[in-house]
Amino acid sequence: MLLNRDNSGNRWHLRPDGVGKVTGQLQYLTDMTLPDMIHGRVLRSSYPYARILSIDITGAEAMEGIFAVLTFKDVPGLNRFGIATPDQPVFCEDVVRYVGDAIAAVAADSPERAALAMESIKVEYEEWTPLDSTEAALAPGAPELHEHGPGNVLHRTEIKRGSVDEGFAACEYIVSETYYTPRQMHAYMETEGGLFVPDESGRLHVYAATQHGYKDRMQLSRIIGCPEEDIRVVSSPIGGSFGGKDELNVQPYGALLALRCGRPVKMHNSRKESVRAGLKRHPMKIEMQTGISREGMIQAHRVRITADTGAYATLGAPVLNFCTEHCLGPYSIPHVDVEGISVYTNNGVSGEFRGFGGNQAIFAMEGQMDRLAEMMNMDPWEFRRRNMREKTDPGPLNQRILVTDGLSQVWEAMDRSELWQKRKHQNSPEVLALPPWIKRGVGAAIAMHGAGLGYGIPDPAGGRLSLNAEGKIEVAFSYEEFGQGLIATLEMMLCDLFQCSTSDLSIIIGDTDRVPHSGSSTASRSTTMAWMALQRLQTPFRSKILSAASALSGIPADELITGIGGVWWQGQIAPEVTANDTKINSRFVVSYVDLAKHGETEDWIFDTQFEYPTTPDNVVGGHYLYTYAAVAAEVEVNTLTGEAKLLDTRHVVAAGPVINPMGFIGQIEGGSVMALGFTLTEDAVMQDSHYITSNLDTYLIPTIRDIHTNLEIEAIEDLPEGDSFGPRGIGEIGSVALAPAITAAIHQATGVWVNRLPVPRDQLIKPLDVPLQKGVSSS
Amino acid sequence: MTVPLSSCWTAVVNGEEKHLQIAQTTRLVDVLRTNLNLTGTKVSCEVGRCGACMVLMDGEPVNSCLVMAYQCVGSEITTIEGLHGEKEDELHPIQQAFLEEGGFQCGYCTPGMVISTKALLDRYPQPSQEQIETGLCGNLCRCTGYGGILRAVRTAGETCLNSSLLTTVVKKVNDQ
Repeated sequence: MLLNRDNSGNRWHLRPDGVGKVTGQLQYLTDMTLPDMIHGRVLRSSYPYARILSIDITGAEAMEGIFAVLTFKDVPGLNRFGIATPDQPVFCEDVVRYVGDAIAAVAADSPERAALAMESIKVEYEEWTPLDSTEAALAPGAPELHEHGPGNVLHRTEIKRGSVDEGFAACEYIVSETYYTPRQMHAYMETEGGLFVPDESGRLHVYAATQHGYKDRMQLSRIIGCPEEDIRVVSSPIGGSFGGKDELNVQPYGALLALRCGRPVKMHNSRKESVRAGLKRHPMKIEMQTGISREGMIQAHRVRITADTGAYATLGAPVLNFCTEHCLGPYSIPHVDVEGISVYTNNGVSGEFRGFGGNQAIFAMEGQMDRLAEMMNMDPWEFRRRNMREKTDPGPLNQRILVTDGLSQVWEAMDRSELWQKRKHQNSPEVLALPPWIKRGVGAAIAMHGAGLGYGIPDPAGGRLSLNAEGKIEVAFSYEEFGQGLIATLEMMLCDLFQCSTSDLSIIIGDTDRVPHSGSSTASRSTTMAWMALQRLQTPFRSKILSAASALSGIPADELITGIGGVWWQGQIAPEVTANDTKINSRFVVSYVDLAKHGETEDWIFDTQFEYPTTPDNVVGGHYLYTYAAVAAEVEVNTLTGEAKLLDTRHVVAAGPVINPMGFIGQIEGGSVMALGFTLTEDAVMQDSHYITSNLDTYLIPTIRDIHTNLEIEAIEDLPEGDSFGPRGIGEIGSVALAPAITAAIHQATGVWVNRLPVPRDQLIKPLDVPLQKGVSSS
Repeated sequence: MTVPLSSCWTAVVNGEEKHLQIAQTTRLVDVLRTNLNLTGTKVSCEVGRCGACMVLMDGEPVNSCLVMAYQCVGSEITTIEGLHGEKEDELHPIQQAFLEEGGFQCGYCTPGMVISTKALLDRYPQPSQEQIETGLCGNLCRCTGYGGILRAVRTAGETCLNSSLLTTVVKKVNDQ
């Protein structure tokens, strides 16, 4: 179905958090203030790589209005953080490894005073030459940035199947190419920050964005050296994250300052500080050699991935796992030899980012497919079809995956789309009428993208459904609302399940004091997890409600249903009458409010705990559930300026039933435009391990002028009969396959094979090969 | 009480006359967020690129991170909190359109985006695509891909067309 407002009918659901957002009334965590709060700032390293010789804070401590100056000596617990590998210092003790490294933190009665105090902290360094590239970090004799070496290797991956040498020997055509992808910035509009409030009972209340409140709480308890229960993390609403706020950022500093001062501390990073200290997408170099038979069947695939993970681990290892898994694409390949390496450098820290390494891999693999198809003069879409995995084939890591038709469905939907068919009509009158320096082309790409954290990684899920004391149907999850529309999706799921109205609901997320541990809002998992939890909880919850209503009314429970406002009698209702029809008001049995007054509060609470579905095979990181997407793009290239403009785009997405069309469209459109930036303009450039692009005036994310003139989304909602996993998450799938579609279109338009993102304009500038008008000189 | 002229900042903010004791080099965005607790105006890039802090100053859209207090003395400032429908508790048609078309996700750019849309529709009640792009290219959004925003602006243009809410009434403090 072509997804838009018109086609969505009454499923077009206004977001419950919408009015607060369009009126500006919604308080983000960085908007919060308290009367006696003070302001925290972090002093960061002057150099990307240096030994700290001394830190003198006496001047700063003596200044008026300064409440605290903290260094590594003031960390009571573990002076490290990191979701997977806690190797990032809260405060550096002896060595700094990147320009975002923290040396000290200051709390003052105004932001200006805090800034002044920071200037008076004297740090002496012995400056060292930074390892500003993976090559420098891997060079023999390079200093080791971390003790847990060997060398500067964070992580290695490998997939070997068959014999690539034999495979290549039997190939008719072989394409070898090296692909480079940029250090993309999340560029969430709300920079990191929040409010840190110690209370009289000794608890610390943390109001700061994260995608996993419980994980923040655990890490903060390690740093502070206190029980987790002494910390409450409130973590929604969030002004954008895209993976970038999953790691701790300002939290350790805000927490330590607040506890030291016994007062609320506000932190809010400036954009420049956010750029300097924050995560980025891993820049990668991906070398690929792919060989095919005379018939166009892929025989052998050799891949070498080098990822620049920067100064600290964060999720560099899982990102590399994901990239390794996805660099085979959705194709059957008998001989495979993949090696990946994630390398520590003194560059900015790379970590989790929407697509999680899939974007880089898919850009490279789909690039290979287009090059091979052209080599054998075959239609690139047909070439893909020949090589696509069958639906019962194992996944990329030879692991068992859930069988669906998603891949062939997105392929077919794209094949018959008007946009893809346009590829064959490059000599249309419209195209021929363009000035000779304007070239147009159409390209397409296909992808399968894993959801969830993968085999071998704890991926807990769960949730709570209850009838609360106010008579509301309440759900509680540890997920976060960072813009994706989760709250609206939950509302719709609950209204569907219980036929109730939104006013009957209470949705609790993002507060560790109020929600059960149900995992993170990452890896396109929240929608699936929430749906699975509600499937498990609905039967016991409904039974409890209906049996209580039956006991009160004397009507048999099997004649009762949940509905708007409470429980209704459904006996003898004519089929055309619905529960919200006023004609059957007399059939109302009991309100949720009255039901909630009966029995103990605990009687009305239902919990579930389970794990995200994963492959049964022992393949670390291997996924079980995949979403599928095909993307086509029409691009216009100005060969005088090298500018590429995306004219028309179609995303076909197979992710199961669309619960929330507005949210689905928003995620695919937003992901697509983020991928447009990744492809054409975005690169957080570093020189000698210092950021050159430090704000949004030089780091160019797309504006409303730069986007696709036309963007259509087709949703394929089929799932296999009896599928117990429900709707799949679509937070990432919109962002993973646009880049290769654009570069394929650029190739059709100009003949240039682009292997580096963002697309270098100078490669697209071509001298005009047209006769000059009379009287015009070419010199 | 008489306040020395040099330290008294005066402006009409959302229709109310405000007097503050602040340094004249305070940024307008800080005056709004910190002194007046109008946190609907957001802070993001602080170099005038992203438009999250956009407000109307005498009817013109300005990045409030680039305006110093002394530059807007006596001005009429309209922030997102100053926008409403025919009745004060109703949404402005632009806000309503953003809500209905899904012209926001995380919502952090939304107040600035709505303010720029107001300025755009005040000037061009039926804006062309080119005028929309020009009017909103100073506002960055990282979530929506702008699709929902474009649809919201078009819808708002239609609903606002005959509305009295289109034109900002500019009142100078000096005129009062």
